[in-house]
Amino acid sequence: MNTDSSSKSPSYTITCRMNHEAAALERLCQVVRIRGFRIEKMAVETADGVLDIALTVQGTRSLTMLQSQLEKLHTVAEVILTTPVLAPAASLTA
Amino acid sequence: MNGAQHILEAFHRHNIQTVFGYPGGCIMPLYDALVDDVRVEHVLCRHEQGCALAADGYARASGRLGVCIATSGPGATNLITGVANAHRDSIPMLVITGQVPSALIGTDAFQETDVLGMTLGIVKHSYLVESADELPGILDGAMKLAQSGRPGPVWIDIPKDVLLTETTIAPITTPAPPPTACPDLTGAIALLRAARKPLLYSGGGISLAHSEDRFREFSECSELPAVVTLKGIGNPGKYSTHNLGMLGMHGSRAANRAVDECDLLLVIGARLDDRATGKLDGFAPNARTIHIDADAAEFNKLRNSELAIRGDLNAILGELTRALRETPLAINDWRKQCQTWRTTGGFQAADNEEPLAPITGPAFIRQLSRVAPDDTIIACDVGQHQMWVAQHYQFDHPRHHLTSGGLGTMGFGLPAAIGAQFADRQSTVLNVTGDGSFMMNAQELATIRRYSLPVKLIIMDNQCLGMVRQQQELFYNNRESQINLDDNPDFVAMARAFDIPALKIERTDQVRRGIETILAYNGPMLLHVAIAREENVWPIVKPGGSNKEMIDETRRSAADKKERVA
Repeated sequence: MNTDSSSKSPSYTITCRMNHEAAALERLCQVVRIRGFRIEKMAVETADGVLDIALTVQGTRSLTMLQSQLEKLHTVAEVILTTPVLAPAASLTA
Repeated sequence: MNGAQHILEAFHRHNIQTVFGYPGGCIMPLYDALVDDVRVEHVLCRHEQGCALAADGYARASGRLGVCIATSGPGATNLITGVANAHRDSIPMLVITGQVPSALIGTDAFQETDVLGMTLGIVKHSYLVESADELPGILDGAMKLAQSGRPGPVWIDIPKDVLLTETTIAPITTPAPPPTACPDLTGAIALLRAARKPLLYSGGGISLAHSEDRFREFSECSELPAVVTLKGIGNPGKYSTHNLGMLGMHGSRAANRAVDECDLLLVIGARLDDRATGKLDGFAPNARTIHIDADAAEFNKLRNSELAIRGDLNAILGELTRALRETPLAINDWRKQCQTWRTTGGFQAADNEEPLAPITGPAFIRQLSRVAPDDTIIACDVGQHQMWVAQHYQFDHPRHHLTSGGLGTMGFGLPAAIGAQFADRQSTVLNVTGDGSFMMNAQELATIRRYSLPVKLIIMDNQCLGMVRQQQELFYNNRESQINLDDNPDFVAMARAFDIPALKIERTDQVRRGIETILAYNGPMLLHVAIAREENVWPIVKPGGSNKEMIDETRRSAADKKERVA
């Protein structure tokens, strides 16, 4: 991804709770990438078979779309957007 | 019971009687267990991609879970296209692969690949099994997950030592979750009643939710003008008078016109894919949208909806039918308008009256549609023939039309037809393919022969990659690039080499007899149909263009100056 263009993109913070099973983090990161976001910062804590992940992501697409795609993952228990959601991306029709 | 035996036990519990697979080193314990099992029929395809696509065709035709099995390394990587195909079309599938023994994972062992890692993006979920004790629970969960909500492939990668380890854990069958209540439809019914030009837009989600009958009732009761996506073909039935046909890039003028003019889109079991909508800015510009689907992630993904309703389609369609039966919609003017478009803007192709004339694709498919029994299953490949089937064959049920919609996998049709024939040994199954697609999985002719499957193969041979040639002609200044296949093998001789009888036709007066001959033959048979190289699929919307800007044959020279696409 082009650093110049991404540096102008808005940043959001998300917290995500998921089951701690094989490839859980890879799954999460892959969805973030495919749905058009870039991870700026990531903190992971593990307890009792659960992963708590705090993510700062950057991108121009709809954050609610990213949220719904993350929630679709079988391992994900909860996704919370801690940054207020802005207007949908301009590419969406009204 | 060891891990391998647990897999067979899970098959029995979930009533899985047919699986498609190919043996190899790390999956051998499962194949050893299969020797003693008389309840599971294992179908040996000739390439793992054939196994996955056959499992996909089995699932599409039957509505049941498709199962494919392969070994580690190349076995698993060969499955990937077939599994991606199932993922993109939400087909319920269980994939089982052997993996190198646990202690060797990560050592670059013989036939080791990181299957879990490389398949994350093409599965609904996946597991790498770490001990035999967790295998029964994973198997039960995977089979349920693959078939629940929006279906999809679930992949279980099992190290060889886990397959061999004895476990005392009992097989597990968890109860199915209770059905969810029907969501509130007050808002949807109010929007429908307020609309003057409502349009029903249905897709592959109807049959994925097993709601074909409820949909048909709703469609007939509401008398809503209707369009279908490629995967929704067959939803309204062969005899629906309100069906305007497929919309989108190769859709009917009637369907695209109705979408353009409607003031309410009732989208059910569809995801507003780009091949259906064309350029989003120009798609249904005057319409509000009600989107009903099993997958919440599809809502507002590409187009914002006034109302998004997630739930069981059977319950929702039943409730909508009740509401509209009590008070029908007053939209007669709109219905009449759509009827006019249906008459004048449906898929039209003149039947060729000249007996010695070359065969044209659309005329051949129309004749096939007239001659083949109503319950015929057609597995297509990808390309021009796929669109001619979608446009000109009259399907009475969505499970009769097996087509690779999302991924567009050349080579899908032949193994999918094999899977469909295993789903119902009595049904008539045709693979309609092109000369390009046929060669992508031609090795599966051996599978047809081995199991004496009465699959009929129809190769529409235009000696080139027709859909690519067409787009090069229209959008790339007619600069043909790597599409020539005029050195194809002799397909009739090729079929005969697999002990499959075959015949070739090339004139219009041979069409009917050719079709009747293969349909009447009690076994597999191949019909090689020579068609003109220059023929195109009409109408067409330029990739990335708006559906309003359809190009058809008559307008082609005037309207289109063979623009380049980006």
